[in-house]
Amino acid sequence: MGQGTAERVVPVPPVILLHRRHRIDGDRIFQGLAITAGLLILAIAAVFVVALFIPALPAIRAFGLGFLTSREWNPVSLRFGALPFLYGTLVTSLVAMVIAFPIGIGAALFLADDARLRFIRVPLSFAIELLAGIPSVVIGLWGLFILVPLMRTSVEPFLNHTVGFLPIFQGSFSGSSFLTAGVVLAIMVLPILIALSRDVIRAVPRSLREASLALGATKAETTWSVILPYARAGITGAVLLSLGRALGETIAVTMVIGNRPEINGSLFAQGYTLPSVLANEFTEAVGKLYQGALFELGLVLVLITIAVNVLARLLVWRFKGGRESTTV
Amino acid sequence: MNRLGLRVLLDRIVTTLIIACVMAAAIPVFILLLFVLFKGLPGILTPGFFSDLPHPIGVPGGGVFNAIIGTLIIVGIASLLAVPIGTLVGIFLSEFGRNKVGDSVRFVSDVLTGLPSIAFGIFGYTVLVATLGHFSAISASAALAVLMLPVILRATETALILVPNSLREGGLALGAPRWRVTMQIVVPAAVGGIVTGALLAMARAAGETAPLLFTTLGNEFLQLNPGRPMGALSLTVFKNALVPYTNLQDQAWAAALLLVIIVSVTNILARLYVRRAQR
Amino acid sequence: MKHALSAAGVATALLLVACGSTGSTSLGPSGAAATGPTPPAASLTGAGSTFIYPFFSAAFYAYNQKFSQLTVNYQSIGSGGGIQQFAKKTVDFGATDVPAKDSELQPIGTDGTVQFPATLGTEGLAFNLQGVSDGQLKLTPDTIAGIFLGTIKKWNDPALAADNSGVSLPDQPITVVHRSDGSGTTYIFSDYLSNVSSDWKSKVGTGKSLSWPTGQGAKGNEAVATTIKQTPGAIGYVELAYIIQTNMTQAKLKNRDGNFVLPSPAGATAAASQFLITSPTQFSIVNAPGKESAPISGYSWVLLSKDQADKTKGTALVDLFYWLVTDGQQYATNVHYAKLPANVERNDVAALKTITSGASPLLTVSGS
Repeated sequence: MGQGTAERVVPVPPVILLHRRHRIDGDRIFQGLAITAGLLILAIAAVFVVALFIPALPAIRAFGLGFLTSREWNPVSLRFGALPFLYGTLVTSLVAMVIAFPIGIGAALFLADDARLRFIRVPLSFAIELLAGIPSVVIGLWGLFILVPLMRTSVEPFLNHTVGFLPIFQGSFSGSSFLTAGVVLAIMVLPILIALSRDVIRAVPRSLREASLALGATKAETTWSVILPYARAGITGAVLLSLGRALGETIAVTMVIGNRPEINGSLFAQGYTLPSVLANEFTEAVGKLYQGALFELGLVLVLITIAVNVLARLLVWRFKGGRESTTV
Repeated sequence: MNRLGLRVLLDRIVTTLIIACVMAAAIPVFILLLFVLFKGLPGILTPGFFSDLPHPIGVPGGGVFNAIIGTLIIVGIASLLAVPIGTLVGIFLSEFGRNKVGDSVRFVSDVLTGLPSIAFGIFGYTVLVATLGHFSAISASAALAVLMLPVILRATETALILVPNSLREGGLALGAPRWRVTMQIVVPAAVGGIVTGALLAMARAAGETAPLLFTTLGNEFLQLNPGRPMGALSLTVFKNALVPYTNLQDQAWAAALLLVIIVSVTNILARLYVRRAQR
Repeated sequence: MKHALSAAGVATALLLVACGSTGSTSLGPSGAAATGPTPPAASLTGAGSTFIYPFFSAAFYAYNQKFSQLTVNYQSIGSGGGIQQFAKKTVDFGATDVPAKDSELQPIGTDGTVQFPATLGTEGLAFNLQGVSDGQLKLTPDTIAGIFLGTIKKWNDPALAADNSGVSLPDQPITVVHRSDGSGTTYIFSDYLSNVSSDWKSKVGTGKSLSWPTGQGAKGNEAVATTIKQTPGAIGYVELAYIIQTNMTQAKLKNRDGNFVLPSPAGATAAASQFLITSPTQFSIVNAPGKESAPISGYSWVLLSKDQADKTKGTALVDLFYWLVTDGQQYATNVHYAKLPANVERNDVAALKTITSGASPLLTVSGS
């Protein structure tokens, strides 16, 4: 017997249709309640959109599309632009994905595998789940007091010393930087990436794997030539979902990024992200234009994260041909 | 080395790399937990940490009693809002949701899951603070409830789908109405998954900071009235992290440790409950 | 029900404070009888300036010890936040280091608001340099402007060395720390720089939020202080209370008369005494003449609605602030602020007397 809803397996018999007028009230009430609850969710989403969009209107009208390309953020002269925050959000998320991707895929490959060091799998899964539960503000606290000094005294000088010919590793370092924020984000994004990728890799049919091994390929070759290509769409979806999480992360990033609304080619520089500026300046935006600009930033952030999420889920769904697991 | 040898070597290297990735993935959590434990334990063990209110700044001592109560009240009210509604929506999706309405609800729920936490804070501010004219704990609860809804909803739907249809058919065959079958047979069978979902959502809500920043604002005094600004543990960590007073920074670490303990214990309990319920 | 809850809350708070607190908190003279009216039971919320927070924190705590029926929840979110939330009426009072403009207070406007100074404070330039102790570093208006404009980038810059012979300044980049939020402290600091540097005035100007040429941002005086403390080579402008309470090192500043002074409450008083008029339109006391004047000083202001909708809250507010600007001033010096000059105190009381609920004034004190 498959699993599904009662509706699909037990269709409404004609007898009940004849007696429709006398259908039991309890069922009607129950169905009504359930549907209302469902509609409530849709209503909440609608309110969400309205709550963001309407206060943003003054700024949308004033700046138009130029808002997205302007580098200026000046509350005194009331000239606002989103570019420094878009830049900061993208750069930190990219750094996070660059760091988290190899580690995440590697760990996912390990966890998805059935043989090989089985006794490590359970503790590792447990550790990853624990990491997923740690609140953002705790990671930010650790980042601020432990990671920032470490970056300033060891990591950033080391990078500058070794690969300092690259412009992204030049400039002075105070510890709070795009790079530090990227590292913090990588730590936060790792659990989701691992969990999703593991599910995707597990879904690769065993027969394919076994056939490849039977033909004499090594495990590494099987992984590289068979499993990963097959799982490509799903892994891309997993990466995009993790990216979506990184884009929206607020508190931990605010504590280590340096709060400077400026575009700078160096990863050691201080920057600002969309969520951070909202967290910092929301309570003090005086005047409809300043407020509108912040709401517009919020709108841009929400739209970007929605777009990334939708794209991701399309990819993951298409790959698995159904609903993905809810361990996220 | 011949061709085969090369391939085997490559295989070994890849295996080593994967082990390295595994270690790299496992290390952050240990580093994080060790530091939080190491730096937070002195603060937690300080007498007065749990029972005292914060002292004025510059004065040593003080505690986080107001924040603990605040977190309990705020998350409590949020759960009262989110758990019934979320469960009901989950039931809707599982039993009546194989249609366009159900699909759009699922889509919206997925979208909500991916939103930045600060967006919920803005939602809470616009809907309940700007309109009512003052900061309050209840606006934070509302923001958190919206954040918790997708989690509970999904967990409920999944748990209900996993209940075998034979149970439903059996109930219907005995002549029970649909709502009875659902509420008295199917839901109790799925209660493990539902409770887990609720617990996980509550743990997540307890740790959130951004939705609280401009909804509940914060309060150094004990506040039991949800219509007024209230303190919370996550806010305490955030604010105290940024002050130069060492006694307050110590309290930030201690509050962080407390949060981690609460969240981790809740997560572990939730998982254990599922395992036991499945037996 | 609501009253029962708040009463229970206050009672519980009292019980816990009484049982929990071990040593006495050194806030200043305790047990001195307040000569103001007894306030009604209320719980007030205020927000704003981080500059004034140490003073408010100490004073409101002391007031609550005397009158347990009144709790004042003050959240330091920055002067910009204080003005904004007050204008939106989400808080009962606002606090800001620069008086609010009419445009910022819409719809209530400056006509519907009473603004008065609640304390007098001063800012110092705190820095983090190994081997250089408190008061050893000397800064002039030119070097301060240069550092914050980004033209002086290293500690061993010749301009700095010239004023600091005898102090070994390292070859280390200067990390400037400034405010990331709308800050009255920033306003006072930029007001000072605009006064002493035409370069600064044309390039950056005066304001609560600035387009900083260099440096990283931190939210609130608190975070600026924390960042400086944790970053070697950092320097920033911080309210004096934070510097002293957390044992930070600060520089001696050259004032208008040419003397190098270490910012102190006495310096703030000296600066304030040079100005006879203090009002929401004439309030700047930066770069004051006088031998002892601390150059970056300023008042911190409280915003109250002239017409209080809630009579109980309104009475509580005027009683609280009457006490704060008269007897409450004794708590200022302990937390490194200066007492309000006598004329300012008189003006404050007069301003408080104009606050009404309906048509009747709320403050019932006799005399001047």
